[in-house]
Order: sequence, then C-alpha cells, then structure tokens
Amino acid sequence: MRCSFVFGLILSVYKEATVLKVLKVPAHTIAVFILPALLIYICIVFIPIGVSFYTGTLDWNGIGESKFIGFDNFHRLLFNDPFFWPSVKRTLLYAVASMVEIPICLLMAVLLNRYVRKANTLVSIYFTPVILSVVIIGQLWKTIYNPESMGGMLNGILVSLGLDSWTHNWLTEPKIAMYSIYLVSLWQYFGYHLLIQFTGVQNIPSEIYEAAKIDGADGFKADRYITFPMIVPIFKISIVLAFIGSLQQFDLVMVMTGGGPAHATDVISTHMYNSSFMSQQYGYGSAIASFLVVLCLAFTLVINYVMNKVERKYT
Amino acid sequence: MTKKPFKTVGVVLASSLLTLSLAACGSNNNNAAPSGSPAASGSASPNKGEKVTLTFQNIYPDETSPSAKAMHQLVAQYESEHPNVKIELDTLNTDQQKLKLKTQAASKEIPDITMVNPAAQMKPFVDAKLFAPLNDVLDKNGLKDTYQGGLLDNYSFDGNVYALPDGNNIEVVFYNKELFAQAGIDKIPTTFDEFLADVKALKAKGITPLAIGEKDTWTGSFLFMNILLRTNGGPGFLKDVVAGTKTFNDPAFTTAVAKFEELVKAGAFPDGATSIDANAGSNIFKTGKAAMFILGTWETGAIDSSSVAGKVGAFQFPTVDGKGDLNDFMLAPGTGFALSANSKHLDVAKDFLNFYTLNLPKVQFDLKNAVGQPQKVDGDLKAAGYSDLAIEVMDLFSKVKGGDLSFDNTMNPAVSQVHLNALQNLFVQSVDPAAVAKEHQTAFEANK
Amino acid sequence: MVNFRKGLVYLLIAVLCVTQLYPLLWLVLYSLKNNEEILSGSFFALPKTPQWHNYSEAFHSGHYTQYLTNSVIVTLSTMVCVILFSAMVAFAITRFRFKYGNIVMLVFLLGMMIPMQATLLPLMIIFKNAHILNTRWSLILPYIAFSSPIAVFILSGFMRGIPNEIEESAVIDGANTYRIFWSIIVPISIPPVMTVCILTFINIWNEYIMAATFISKEALKTLPFGVYSFVSQYSTNYGDIGAFLIMGAAPVILLYFLLSDKITKGMADGAVKG
Repeated sequence: MRCSFVFGLILSVYKEATVLKVLKVPAHTIAVFILPALLIYICIVFIPIGVSFYTGTLDWNGIGESKFIGFDNFHRLLFNDPFFWPSVKRTLLYAVASMVEIPICLLMAVLLNRYVRKANTLVSIYFTPVILSVVIIGQLWKTIYNPESMGGMLNGILVSLGLDSWTHNWLTEPKIAMYSIYLVSLWQYFGYHLLIQFTGVQNIPSEIYEAAKIDGADGFKADRYITFPMIVPIFKISIVLAFIGSLQQFDLVMVMTGGGPAHATDVISTHMYNSSFMSQQYGYGSAIASFLVVLCLAFTLVINYVMNKVERKYT
Repeated sequence: MTKKPFKTVGVVLASSLLTLSLAACGSNNNNAAPSGSPAASGSASPNKGEKVTLTFQNIYPDETSPSAKAMHQLVAQYESEHPNVKIELDTLNTDQQKLKLKTQAASKEIPDITMVNPAAQMKPFVDAKLFAPLNDVLDKNGLKDTYQGGLLDNYSFDGNVYALPDGNNIEVVFYNKELFAQAGIDKIPTTFDEFLADVKALKAKGITPLAIGEKDTWTGSFLFMNILLRTNGGPGFLKDVVAGTKTFNDPAFTTAVAKFEELVKAGAFPDGATSIDANAGSNIFKTGKAAMFILGTWETGAIDSSSVAGKVGAFQFPTVDGKGDLNDFMLAPGTGFALSANSKHLDVAKDFLNFYTLNLPKVQFDLKNAVGQPQKVDGDLKAAGYSDLAIEVMDLFSKVKGGDLSFDNTMNPAVSQVHLNALQNLFVQSVDPAAVAKEHQTAFEANK
Repeated sequence: MVNFRKGLVYLLIAVLCVTQLYPLLWLVLYSLKNNEEILSGSFFALPKTPQWHNYSEAFHSGHYTQYLTNSVIVTLSTMVCVILFSAMVAFAITRFRFKYGNIVMLVFLLGMMIPMQATLLPLMIIFKNAHILNTRWSLILPYIAFSSPIAVFILSGFMRGIPNEIEESAVIDGANTYRIFWSIIVPISIPPVMTVCILTFINIWNEYIMAATFISKEALKTLPFGVYSFVSQYSTNYGDIGAFLIMGAAPVILLYFLLSDKITKGMADGAVKG
C-alpha cells in the first residue's frame, strides 16, 4: 500500500513530461534502448547502495566477522553522534551557497551578452578552473589561505593594505574554515554555471527582444519579462547540478583540511569516509551512506516539485 | 497492468545475467593474456617451471628514496634468479595503500605480498585470518636471528609472527643548531620547563620553534605521546588503560594534555598547523624555517639530504616535572611485510620474502639508509661515510631502555580516531584537560 | 552614465579573467620552481632559474606515456559508451509512449547524487565475483555508471524539445525506430553530446580513488597514479608534481578549447527548448 503511495507521489511530481509522444514501440525495442545503461547503472550504483542499507545494520569493521545489530547504527547516527548533524548542516549550507551563486551567474551572463561582442572566449576562460583537477585547486588555495608567516597571499594582501586585524588562519580557525572552502568551490564552479546560463541567454531568439523593443520594453525591463522567464528550464539544470555538486563535495575538503580541525569542516561524505575507513566502523559508515541516499531522494523530489511550479508559472 | 511488470522484471534479470557472464568472459581473456595473474590460475601447487606472478603491494612511490631503490634492486635480483617468477609491483602512497588493503580485505582478496602497520592496526586482518603465519620463513636461513630482540613481538599474535618490519625507529627531537645559537640557547633542554623556555626564546626571535604537519593528525599524537611517556613515569599507560587498571582520567593523562596545551599557547607550532600535511610539515624544518622537529628517526636520511644537512643534531625528549626517564623512547616499529593466507603461490611468496628480508640490511646499509633498520646492521657507519647526525642518532638507539608504541598502534581504530581529532582540536582551541580525558574515556568504553 | 556602467562591467570582466586564469599561471610557475622557492611561497615571483628538469623528471619517473595511454583508452571507451547508452535512454524516455519512462528518469536522477566513495567496498566484492578486478572493465564500468545520469539528464532535456513532426514524417516515410534514432535524432543532438563529452571527460580524467583501488597492475594504471606517485611517504618534490599536473591536465585543456565553441552551443540547445 505504502509503496504504491510513494510511486503515486513520484509520478505526480514527474507528470510534467507529458509531451505527446509519437513513437509506439514494442516492449523489446524499449528494452534495447534502455537496458544497456540501466543494467550497468543498477549493478554498479544501485546494488552497492542496497548493500549499504544492509551493512548499515551490522556491527562490522569492514574486514572480519560482522554482527547484526538492527537499527543501532541509525539510532546512534541520528541521536548520539555529535559530529553528524553539524556535517549535515554544512552540506546543506553548501548546497544553498551554490544555488545562490546561480542568479549571480545569470546576471553576469546577461551583462556579457549585452556588453561584449565575442563573449564566447571569455566564457571559455572563466571555465578553466573547472577542468583542473582538485589536487591543483586545493594546492593553489592552500597557498593563498596560508598564514602570513608562511607567505599566504590573502593575508599578505590584507597586511599590505593595513588591515592586519582582518587576517585569519583561514583554514584552521574552526569558525571560518568551512566558509573558506565554500568560497573555493564557488570560485571554481562560477565558470561552470556562467557557461550554462550564458548559452541559455544567448540562445533566446533576438526577434523576441526586437518585438519587445517595439512595445517599449528594453534593457533590464526586457530581461524581467523575456530573459528570466525563458531561462527557467536552464535555471533548473543549474540548480540540480549545483545541488548534486555540493552533496558530492568530497575531494576538495579532503585535499584542503581532511575534515579538520577536529571535524570543523566535516561534510556528510567526509564523515562517512572517515567513519568507514579511518575509524573502521564500516557498518556505521554505511548507515551514513544510507542516510545520504534518503536525503538525496527527498531533495530530488522537492527540487523537481518546486521547479515545476516555477516553470508552470512562467510558461 | 498486472502482468507487464513481471515480464519486464524477467527481461531485466535475464539480460543482467547475460551481461554479467559476458563481462566475466571478457575479463578472463584480459587476465590471461600477459602473465596469468593469481586470480586466473587455478592450481595451488606450482612446480619449478610454472609461471608465477606475485603482486607486491608497497608504499614506496618515491623512486629516489633508498627504500624504493632497495625494493627495485632486490625484486630485480630475485626475478633474475627465478626466471619463472614475476613480481608485479603495486606502488601506492601510504594513505591510498591503507584504504586499498582495507577494501581488498572486505572481499578477502588481498595481494600476495602487502604491507601493514604493527600491533593494533594489523589485528583486524589477523583476526580475519587474512595473513599467513611467517614462522617458517623466519626459521629459514636463520632470518629470525637477524632481527633486533623483541621487535617481532609487535607483529605476533598467539605465538605466530604475521609480518616482518621494514624499519624500527624511535622518536627523537631533531634541532637546528644554527637557529638555537641565534636564539642564544647554548644547551639542549633536559626538562620540560627548559624546553618551554627555549620555545619561548625561539619564538621571541621570530623563529618557529617546532615544525609539525597536523593535517595528518598522527604527527601531533606522536609528539603528545612523548609527554605522556614522561608524565606516566615510564611506559605502559595505554596498556594499563586497556587492562582496566587505569583510566584516561588519570592525572598522568590530564597533565600531559595540559603540558601539550602549554606548548600550543607558547606558540611552539607554525601558524595554521592543522592545514599543513605531514610532508609540508617536515619541509618546514628541512628548509631551516623551524628550530625543532619531533618525529621518528626515519627522517634522518631525508634531513641529511636537505638544505639543513650538517646543522642538525638530535636529543631525547625532556623529562616533565621531574618524571620519566630520558632513556625511555616512543618506539615506532615500521610497516611490516605480510603475506596473503589465500595466496595461490604462498610457498613462492614465502621464499621471496625470506630472500628479500635477508638481503635488505646490506642493501640498505650501502644506500646510506642504515638508521632505523629492523635488523642488526654490520659495518662501521663512520667508515662507510655516514653523517654525524646519523651516528648521533644511532648512539641514541643504543640508550633505549624501554618505551611505548604510538596511540593508534595500541588502541583500536575507533578510539584512535577520537584521540587524533581531540588532539587536533587542541591546536585550534583550548579545552579543559579533564574534558579531553573524559572524551577519551567515553570513546574507549563505547568501543571496547 | 552609460559609459560609466560600461566601464564598471569591463572592470568586472577583467577582474574575473585574472582570478579564473590565475591557477594556470600559478601552476606553470610552480612547475618551474625548486622546492625552496615553492615553500617560500612568493606568488608572482618568477623562478630564479626555471627548473626545466622538473618536466623531464616527471616525464620519466611518472611513467607518463604509459599512464597517458591507459587514461586515453579508459576515458575514450567510457565516453563512447556513455554517449551511446545515454542517448538511447534519453530517446526512449522522451519519445516513446511508455509508462515507466518517468520512473527510469527518476532512477537516473537519484543516482546523480550518490557519492562514489559509498560504493567502493560493495563494488570490490561484486568485481571480485565477476572476475573483473585488475582489468580495464573495473574502471570503465563504474565510470559509465557514474557518468550516465548527468548525460541522460542533459540529453533528455534536449530531446524533449525536438518537435514531434520530425518523427511523424519519418514514420510516414517508413523508417523504423532504430533508423529514426540513428539518422535523425543523433545528428541533431550533436551539440548537447559535446557538452556531455566534456563533462564526462573532466570527471573521469582526474579520478583516482577507484583507479587506485581496483587496479594493481602497473600496465593498466592511469595518469592520476603518476601524480600521487610523487607524493611519497617521507619526501616530496613539489616542482615535479606541478610539472606532472600540467602534463596531465594538458589533454583536457586542449580538448576543452577545441570543443568549447560547440559546448557553448550544446548546453543552451539542451535546456532552452525543453
């Protein structure tokens, strides 16, 4: 019963895709098209996650004998782990921060489109941090964030501006460290979202703007009534990608702080990794992974629901 | 509506089986082609002529280091003496190797030859019966007698030895004589108060007193354990905790935490220490930017080939409040070579390991890497051109009366992680020592 | 006033250019310095004497060509599979009359968010039983699986916007489904496919944890091994790492700038019409 309810919910959220479809095809054709990707995907992603739900109920160090302990791990996770909820909070804040960045990227895209003739090159340049590996990005920003005594650039600039009191140990003060990492991530993915928004803006047919101009809508007024409504679908892509990116954020935190000092920069994925492999409480780590999956499911539904509402309002 | 889902499920299952078996076929071809890897070859009794491939997972990625040179040299020599044996090196950095071995252990498929940390860190693997006992390897060619007395105990469980160490180090304080002179320090500290005064004197001169790379949390723990070794009046604190005769709330532990916090408050460590990784931390010392560095003697060779070579000496960690014995050291028995109990060619692997460890001391000696070897080294260091620092360190070795293993070699991983994080926290905020002790004790009781 | 605003925009654009291009410049300088210069941490300082030998050292001791070949093989096979399979799924979801399309889509969407580290240990066991550990399959399969969701997401966004008339006329002409997919849908989907290409490429090219865990044979190792092989237990030559990072990133950078025009098109086509 409950199962069918969940399915109903999922389907209601996904109803938007009811474009009239032409192709009536037999089941075996559908299978040919869908199964190769789906099978690989199920074997590599879904089965392991299913396994995680199971190992989440074990007291297991990942190596030797395991013992079934029911929901003890989940209970400990939700009620007895002082580092878990803060890590969830940081992860979600991460997600919010990356989503807030997107309107800024849109604004920048509009500006580029309006003021620069061959903006494509600029957009490509802004994209470069995305293609560099996290190892490079992490090393670079560590040298920027370093304390002044170790030649940190940011602190050096602050000192030379006479702002000595503004200097910080950006990656080691527990209250600041996480924000320092957010900033790196926002910087790195700025070009990514800009690229998406820019191409969206660019592909709005210019006739629409010309027509609007005749009606007296120009400049930012035209943006309000044409650009923003037309870019909503792209916005959705960006939001989803930003959200995913923030939940999966792992490498950057590992390279820059390893989750430290003393858990101050732990996000869900690093907490999971450290529990599974450093503390060797694999069962507990699996419980964290399971939680993450449920969280993902919930948020996918929420994002889709909200975005469909917005989409319907504008189109 | 009711029928269709089942049909679809059927199709899915059938095709998934198909894909899996296809994948399996593909892989067999792939496996068999170059060498007949252990996974592919079935029989357990290799005769002389049979092609054998052994995987040797190791942590020597830097090909310029003596350990890596020794490994390449010995592997090549063994292969040339046994043309039917191929040794496949799987070289990883330490962190990655630890992760990989744990993941492999979950599927009971560990490499023929691998490397593992001693005592508490290797216990889960031994409990899971993944390692082969090496007693017969040690008996062959008198290998056992080459090891320093008592060292193999760290790798033994229930009377069987499960790994052979690649090193045996102690922790000392390396110091930069030039920077000491600049700060007007003319004698090495033998008490913690003198030590603290020197830290302050160095700090006043704008010199970073102690190098550390606390992003890798074990570095801080290493230093802390030296203090604990003193405040406890000698070795054995953690063992007593495990045995239940002491708790972390013991004054020995809280005093050690308090002393450690004094160091932090005095500005002993570089700014932003918790974001510096261990390599970068040791480079602070090796580039002459810090006056002292407390770490294992394995650093000796690297210091000698750095820009501060010739300016560095070493001393024993000072006594704390009159407690402790200078001749007790923190002991750091090295990572051990272990063999997979399920290896298809266990006898070949054993033969190789015997050859490797028998010849290692001589090769290491020639590579100027004799400091911190697990085996007795024959030869005159001075005559062989070893540095003054190396000879000084070897001299400290001869003073070893007793000592403790590091925290994560004594306690289980879950408790160790709590400890490591709690110590890292001390670098960034001051915490009541009693609270730190309580955190330890709670974790210990929860993970017994 | 307009000029002032314009000036402000240009200033903003310029500042962004500096901040976004700085990492490349930094890395180039880094790769030419010696350890001491790097650790002294001066930022815009040029190396006193460029350490070109960092490159030759990185080239030789990092097994560059071998790792490069492996990376190229793995990455290319993955990309071909990802694009083909995802395009097929996207086509089916968006163009077939088929009830479970939405569920399939949801399944893929959900997968986008699952962190790879969580699957490491179960995959080890699965791969062992399938006997594909230590083969290229053990990299290609997970890379396909973890790249497909985003690809399906982007491609279906694009295909949803293709007008129905195109297929209707094809059906009237007697083309079957496979024909329609291969000769109509695929050719007009090239722009979003380019987008998928570059995103997949970036993700796979730098992947290390899976590669290090599932591959033990030297002959099959990929480029990130090279980078980490310099980060040894007790000492590090930073300049070499920098040089290796540049050589490792060069193929991505090249590919990106070759494709970048098509990519800017691809992203937009994918979404606006949806």
